[in-house]
Amino acid sequence: MTRLDTRGVPQGPIPARAGIGLRSVHHEAVLTDRPAVGFLEAHTENYFHEGGAAVRALLRARTNYPLSLHGVGLGLGSADGIDREHLRRVKNAIARFEPALVSEHACWGHAGGEHFNDLLPLPYTEEAVEVLARQVGEAQDFLGLQLLIENVSAYVAFEHSRLKEWEFLCAVAEHSGCALLLDVNNIYVSSQNLGLDPVEFIDSLPVTSVREIHLAGHARNGAVLIDDHGSQVCEAVWQLYRHAIARFGPLPTLVEWDNNIPALETLVGEARRAERILGEAHGLAA
Amino acid sequence: MASLREMQHAFAAALRDPAASCPVLPTANLAVYPNHSTITFREALEQTFPVVRRRVGDDYFRQLSAHYRQRFPSRSGDLHWVGRDFAGFLDEYLAGGEYQWLADLARIEWARAESSITAEVSSLGVDGLAGYAPEALEHMVFGLQPSLRLVASAYPVYTVWLTNQAENAPPVDQSGGHEQGMIRARHDLIEVRKLDSAAFAFVSGLDSGATLGDAMTTASLEARTLTGLLGFLFSEGLVCSLTLRE
Repeated sequence: MTRLDTRGVPQGPIPARAGIGLRSVHHEAVLTDRPAVGFLEAHTENYFHEGGAAVRALLRARTNYPLSLHGVGLGLGSADGIDREHLRRVKNAIARFEPALVSEHACWGHAGGEHFNDLLPLPYTEEAVEVLARQVGEAQDFLGLQLLIENVSAYVAFEHSRLKEWEFLCAVAEHSGCALLLDVNNIYVSSQNLGLDPVEFIDSLPVTSVREIHLAGHARNGAVLIDDHGSQVCEAVWQLYRHAIARFGPLPTLVEWDNNIPALETLVGEARRAERILGEAHGLAA
Repeated sequence: MASLREMQHAFAAALRDPAASCPVLPTANLAVYPNHSTITFREALEQTFPVVRRRVGDDYFRQLSAHYRQRFPSRSGDLHWVGRDFAGFLDEYLAGGEYQWLADLARIEWARAESSITAEVSSLGVDGLAGYAPEALEHMVFGLQPSLRLVASAYPVYTVWLTNQAENAPPVDQSGGHEQGMIRARHDLIEVRKLDSAAFAFVSGLDSGATLGDAMTTASLEARTLTGLLGFLFSEGLVCSLTLRE
């Protein structure tokens, strides 16, 4: 149950409800309409700065909703190391916005000083487990909290990979002490692109390892599925979601929409659908 | 077996040059990644420089973005900083041509981007001067809003910026001469305002830490215009602190 602190700001764990990804085009509508969603999730990097309209909007929204901060730029699997300045900014954002969850991706993002501003795929090797787990551990120590690490969409697989993706994620969680954020759409996209079985992926993860679920839409470009977060969640992903919460229990579930962003009510409608599924599976009030 | 670092550097080479090889399957799908990072970079630039994009059109902006990225790749996981060197790049890229003024237009847009992430500080009213003797005024140093940016150009770029707030605005006559002005954040909005050259020189002097007396001298400001300018600075909430320099 979400509780309010002495200022009336929601604190405590994020409830097992559906939330929405907060994007700047919806700042105004979220503040005015106060949609009945369980929580908000914001991209950490969009609120890195000392001031400005975006920071003020999130501070205001934070007084009404529990918050999850979701990083897209740290790339903790980068073999060149952690960008310390970026990590320091994440810590500042945590101090300012007091999120209940903080997540990053199982990916890399920079090499030779250049950042590619993308969630780039890792080879599933023992060395990559070691590098990602060590850097997740260092980040957790510096930030003073447990991170959730999310599986990314993949379009290619490294020839060097020796582990299945879920074995890789479990090993990283075991060695670093992080939890997992399971993106069901990413599992579906990667499975379709690389000829894998998404149900086997879900069934192979330990029941207690997952703390949050992501849902989003994807696009098709010829034979390739592109994780563009630009449309509604597709039926196949809703089916996988049912399967996932049957296995992992009721979990905070986020609907992301980053391109061709619709009116807020459409996004909230997707979150309602996730809440109905949570309710049906676990007898929760939707 | 290649190390993780070697694999990532090989992947990075393939992101920069689609002809470079990388040990991944299916090979045909590798192109998704360079496409994505090219588009992400360009969209971040477009978001910061919408008026430059409007003036040059999508095709030329795409070309500018690609050449700029070769010279100034992203150095941060925070895309906000992608445009930091764009105006300087345009100075060189467009040197000697008829579109040199685009660099100064980009300076206005970068100033807006910087202002938009700078915290606003509480400001002083003109009564903040009340406790000081009149003869002390010339030794006064003004702390101005941290979001204030001052941009001067040999071209009428403020007029270009203002007339291009909508798509398909007509071209602006570039023989209109130099313009200068200020950019600042106020109540979550970013203001862009033209200043006359004396006011610009005076505010620039104050902003760089000169005393009121020195800023007036540098700007060749006549004493009779001082009252109006000080009134403007205070009423606009631009003055955040006052200190006397001994």
